[in-house]
Amino acid sequence: MAMEGSNITNSSSGEDFAVGCLLSIKTTLGEEFNGQVMTFDRPSNILGPKHGPKRNIRFLKANYIKEFSLLGQAEDPLDIKKCYIDLHSLQAREELALRQAEADAERIGVGVTAEAQSIFDALSKTLPVRWDKTVIVVMNEVRVSSPYLADCVSGGTPAANDRVKKVLELERKRLQARGASR
Amino acid sequence: MGYKNRAEAETEACLNEALLFATMCIIGLPVDVHIRDGSVYFGTFHTASFDKENGIVLKEARLTKKGKSSANVGNGSVIETLVILSVDIVQVVAKGVLFPVDGVAANISGDNAEAAVTNASSSEIAVSEAKKSNMFTVDRKKSNQNRGSAKNKNGSSQGLMLTRAGKDHEGRKMPPNDIVNVMEFEHGKRDGVNISKREASSGDSVNGRQTGEDWSQGEQDLYKHKFEFQREKSADEVHSPNAITGPHLSEAKPVAEGRVTVKLLPNGVSCNSAGELMKPDNQYCGRPASVGTTSPIAVCASVSTYSNPTVDVPSESLCSSLANSTDAVSPRISESNRSSKAFKLNPGAKIFSPSFSNPISATAPAVPTAASMAYIPSNAPAVPVAAVQPEVGIPFAPRSSVPAKYSPYSNLTAVNGGSGSQFLQPVVRHMGSRAQPQPLRYSGQYHAVQAAPAFVPPNSQSVMVGQLGQLMYIQPVSHDLVPSAAAISSVSARPMSTPHQVQYPKHQGSAAGQTLQLCVAPPFVAGGQQPFVMPSHIPFLQPPIPAIRPIPVPGSNTLFNTKFP
Repeated sequence: MAMEGSNITNSSSGEDFAVGCLLSIKTTLGEEFNGQVMTFDRPSNILGPKHGPKRNIRFLKANYIKEFSLLGQAEDPLDIKKCYIDLHSLQAREELALRQAEADAERIGVGVTAEAQSIFDALSKTLPVRWDKTVIVVMNEVRVSSPYLADCVSGGTPAANDRVKKVLELERKRLQARGASR
Repeated sequence: MGYKNRAEAETEACLNEALLFATMCIIGLPVDVHIRDGSVYFGTFHTASFDKENGIVLKEARLTKKGKSSANVGNGSVIETLVILSVDIVQVVAKGVLFPVDGVAANISGDNAEAAVTNASSSEIAVSEAKKSNMFTVDRKKSNQNRGSAKNKNGSSQGLMLTRAGKDHEGRKMPPNDIVNVMEFEHGKRDGVNISKREASSGDSVNGRQTGEDWSQGEQDLYKHKFEFQREKSADEVHSPNAITGPHLSEAKPVAEGRVTVKLLPNGVSCNSAGELMKPDNQYCGRPASVGTTSPIAVCASVSTYSNPTVDVPSESLCSSLANSTDAVSPRISESNRSSKAFKLNPGAKIFSPSFSNPISATAPAVPTAASMAYIPSNAPAVPVAAVQPEVGIPFAPRSSVPAKYSPYSNLTAVNGGSGSQFLQPVVRHMGSRAQPQPLRYSGQYHAVQAAPAFVPPNSQSVMVGQLGQLMYIQPVSHDLVPSAAAISSVSARPMSTPHQVQYPKHQGSAAGQTLQLCVAPPFVAGGQQPFVMPSHIPFLQPPIPAIRPIPVPGSNTLFNTKFP
């Protein structure tokens, strides 16, 4: 089924990629990959190779294709008639992904060293921690400021303070050991 | 807008839809967006504009690779909403996308399939009539708005859906509403498949099977489904596998894990039936046409073929204990199949088999492999029974009346399911289908037809409250057993059943997915209850069992070897 890709902004107007073509494509950014043309529109949309039910989808603008070679022709990868989308699942998926991403993002300290981040990650395995700028806040009361040594631990009840110090030292040792083993 | 003209061309419309579809498929997935200057942003795909320019919006985006030109985006900081204009986009890469077509739609149940079909066609009609371009432009506008204020996302996606929403909602019953995991999604679907299949097979083709030889009827039913599904199925999937073994292979493609089991079964069957039974073969011939979505059918077929040989044997050898033996055997065979399959699916599941009798172990693995196991049990017990009847004939007179009740029961349970959430429906009906075989057994063995109605309501309730349901369920069983059977049975039944109870909740927790857990667990519970019933029978059946066991073994070859070392 040949397709129509007239108009649009791509430089290859007039040349169409037929749906289902297996192509090896080089992009202007120097990337090279194989794929099957799923649909061709303003950008050409290349469907990545299929691995089982999961595949990689690539939406590639046709004018960033430097060169390509035809590997073969396969059947249409996408039959629009049987497309089925569950909106709820999409929404749920995105919500979940965003929540996850936000949670992950919160865990990343801004303007901190890699070491500080690794200490944070290590602490987070045992204690509830969050970033307050560059200060690691443990259990919402104990603050560990740069350079994140045992001396830097302040605040909180003595028990909590000691606990954090202990964990911090242990985690530091562990990190050093890991670094040394590498 | 230039697009209106374009959209009038049919192919063009399809193309746009393909793009739209593919775009929607990656909503909420992590994507890499390559920018003209070589930088790469990683974020959650939020929405895209389908206006002239194909701009996109990412959520929680991060710059993962710095390009040549300097952007106003810090490296490492997270941008809550990042709008990337079309001119800047080189490509959008989404990895590990599960197309509904491949993974889900292929598994869509009969209900869904129909819904989806009407879906597509009606949407096409709607599109053509309503001048698709207009609709899309509307949508596009919405998405444009989103570009401005990204919080409207729901609005946009729903806007996109508007063209389909009407038709989709029918199908949406089936898929779980909160899908975390794609596999779960599939499971849900498969459950659905199951049910619809079961209705078809148990309702219609069961009659055919009652007559024993009369496969044609069942085939006709299958063909009916075939037509529905063929529309659904992609041409490639349908045709290529046909040449080979048929649907099973094709099924194995779309959903690797789950389908493998299906594949195994039919293969094993075909080995058996090749010499012995011509009819099953015929069925297979017919089925490849019906293909893909017919996985449950395939299972039905395989199960029935199994049950046929086994039924034959006992009918010859064990005239007196026929009722018991056939009952016990057919479920057991199916279950052992299950277990062997489950074993291949996830070896861990096998762990449970040694500790308990066959049915138990069989259903225990069934839990982890959620859907694939879920539908098999439901099919298995029912079909064998149906197949048994014709051959046994007179002794099962009470039973023949029971199958007639199939549909009523399923209706009842289905109604109950309706009261629950949408997704519960398949589950409930599923359970209903489960419940059906049990009454059969009871009626067959004890001639206590009343037992059947007693079971159905507890089932439906157990959907809501899993563990309570178990308890409630078991007791009626034991009560029924007690009057009809000796005191021994009740004693033996209870100790057997309690450990199962303990086991199942565990598996539910580990195996069933987060959201599905609530919904799906009950069916397993229901499935688990069958074994509860079974052990209680065992003491009575003991004489027949040894005679029967050798029978399945030669028949199923490798499958059973794994099961019975």
